[in-house]
Amino acid sequence: MEGFSSGSKTQIIGKDLIRYFILLYWALFWLLNIIDKMIGGAHFLFVGRDRFAQIERFFDSLGLEDVIYANLALALTAGLEAFALVSFVGALYHFRKQDTDTARSWFFVGIVLTLATFTYFSIGDQIFGDHFELLEHGLFWFIALLSWVIFIRINRIQVFDNFSVGKKQFLISTMVIVSLGAVTTFSIFWHNHTSFAERTGTVKGVQITENKYKIEFPFLAGSTAFENSIKEFKEKHPDLSINYIYTAPKPLRLGQSDGLIIYIQTDRIK
Amino acid sequence: MREKKIIQFLILIHWTSFATTSVLDKIIPDVYPLWVGADFYTLFIKLFASLGLNDPAFATSALAVISFIEITAFVCYLFSLINLLNRKDKISEQWFYRGILFSVLLFSFFSIGDQVFGDRFTLLEHGIFWIILVVSWAVFKYNSQSDERMINFYWSKDVKIGVGVGVVLTIVTSVSILDFAGSTFSKKTDPVNGIEMFENVYKFDFPFLGDKFTMENTIKVFEKEHPELKINYIYTGPKELNTKKKTHMLLYVFTEKIY
Repeated sequence: MEGFSSGSKTQIIGKDLIRYFILLYWALFWLLNIIDKMIGGAHFLFVGRDRFAQIERFFDSLGLEDVIYANLALALTAGLEAFALVSFVGALYHFRKQDTDTARSWFFVGIVLTLATFTYFSIGDQIFGDHFELLEHGLFWFIALLSWVIFIRINRIQVFDNFSVGKKQFLISTMVIVSLGAVTTFSIFWHNHTSFAERTGTVKGVQITENKYKIEFPFLAGSTAFENSIKEFKEKHPDLSINYIYTAPKPLRLGQSDGLIIYIQTDRIK
Repeated sequence: MREKKIIQFLILIHWTSFATTSVLDKIIPDVYPLWVGADFYTLFIKLFASLGLNDPAFATSALAVISFIEITAFVCYLFSLINLLNRKDKISEQWFYRGILFSVLLFSFFSIGDQVFGDRFTLLEHGIFWIILVVSWAVFKYNSQSDERMINFYWSKDVKIGVGVGVVLTIVTSVSILDFAGSTFSKKTDPVNGIEMFENVYKFDFPFLGDKFTMENTIKVFEKEHPELKINYIYTGPKELNTKKKTHMLLYVFTEKIY
C-alpha cells in the first residue's frame, strides 16, 4: 500500500488538509442528510427538504398509494446514510489519530456505501422519470468516486511545498483584502438599508388600459408584498372588483431587471 | 477481496443499472403501474417538429437508433459484469471499454442534438454524463493497474461500536420518518384552512403533500363554510412569491358577497 505521509513536512500538511476536507465534507454531507430525515418538515432554524412528501408522491405516481412503500424506501435510505456517516466519522477519527491504514479502510467502506446509495437513487430516478434528480445523483456518484481516487492517490500529485508568504506580498494582499472587504461590506449594508423594506412594501399599480393595471414587484418582494399591494389596490379602487390576475411569463420578462410582473383585470362594481 | 475489485463492481453495477433502466424506459413509452419514466416519444416529436420535420417518422427513427445504441451499451455492461463475477478480468475490461465507447457515442449524439434543438440545459446534462463515463473508465482501468490492496476490515472493537451507532441512527431516523409520515399523511387529502387576508380575499398555504384532491376538498369546504360568498377567481402564487423553501404552494381566492 502507498504510504500516506511521504514528502516534505509542508507537503504533508497540504495533502493531509485535502484528505481532512474530503473526510469532513462526506461526514457533514451524510450527517445533515440524517438530520434532515430525523427532523422532517420545516422548523425554526432548519427547513430542509420534505423527503417524505417527495417519496410518497413518487410512489403514488407508480400506483403504490400505500404509505408503507415510501416509509420502507426512506428507512432503507436512512440505513445506508447512517452507516456511510459512521464510516466517514470513523475514518476521520483514525486519520486524526494518524492511524492512516485503518482510516483508509473506514473511508473505503464509506465510499462503497455512498456509491451504492447514489446508484440506488439513480435507479429510482429513472423509474420515477425524474431526470433532473438523475443528473444530481449521477454527479454525486462521480464526486464520491473522484474523492476516493484523490484520497488514495494524492501522494502522486505535486503539491507546492512552500506555504510561507513574503512580507511585501503579505502586506499588499492584506491591504487589498481589507479594503475590498470593507467596500463590499459597506455596499451590502447600504443595499440592505435601502432595499429591505421592499420585502413587504406595497407596490403601486399602473393603469395600462381602461380596466387593466400593471404591478411590477422588486426582486425582494414576497407573498406579503403581493398581499399588501392587492389590499392597497382594493382600498384605492372600491368601485372595481378584481376578476383576473395575469402573471407575466418569463418570455415577457427578458430584461434581467424584471422581477414578478402581474396584470390585474377589473370590473366596475354596479 | 481487493478494494479495486469492489470499486470495479460498483462502477459496473452503476452503469449496468443505468443502461437497464434507460432501455426499459424506451420499451415502456408511457406511464404504467410501477413505471413512470420519461416521455421520450413526446420529447422527440416536439423537438423534430420545432425543426419543421412534422412527420413522426423522423422522431421515431431517431428514437429507434438511440435505443439500439443504448441496448448495445447495456449488453456490453452486462457481459462485463458477468465476466467480472466469473473472475475473467481481462474480458470484463474489454466489454466495459466497448460499453463506454457506445455510451460516449450516445451522449455525443445527444449533445449534437441539444445544440441543433437549442436545448442548453440538456446539453449541460449530457456533457456531464459524457465526462462521468470517461472518468469512470479511467478509474476502472487505472485502479486495476495500480492497487492490489485487500479489504482490511475486521470485527474489531471500533467496528462493533460503528455498527452499533449505525443501527441506533437507522432506528432513530426510521422512527422519526414513521412518526412524521403518520402525522402528515392525512395532509394529502385534508382541506387547507384559508386565512382572510383582507375583505373577500383568502390565502391558502398548501402543504408539500397537497395535490389536486387537497385543492378540491379545500374549495368544497370553503364553499360550505362560506355560503354567503361566491368565488370569482383563484390565483396561484407564482414561485417569485414563494422563494422560502418551506412554502409549497400559495393559493389566493378572490370572492364576492352574494346579496
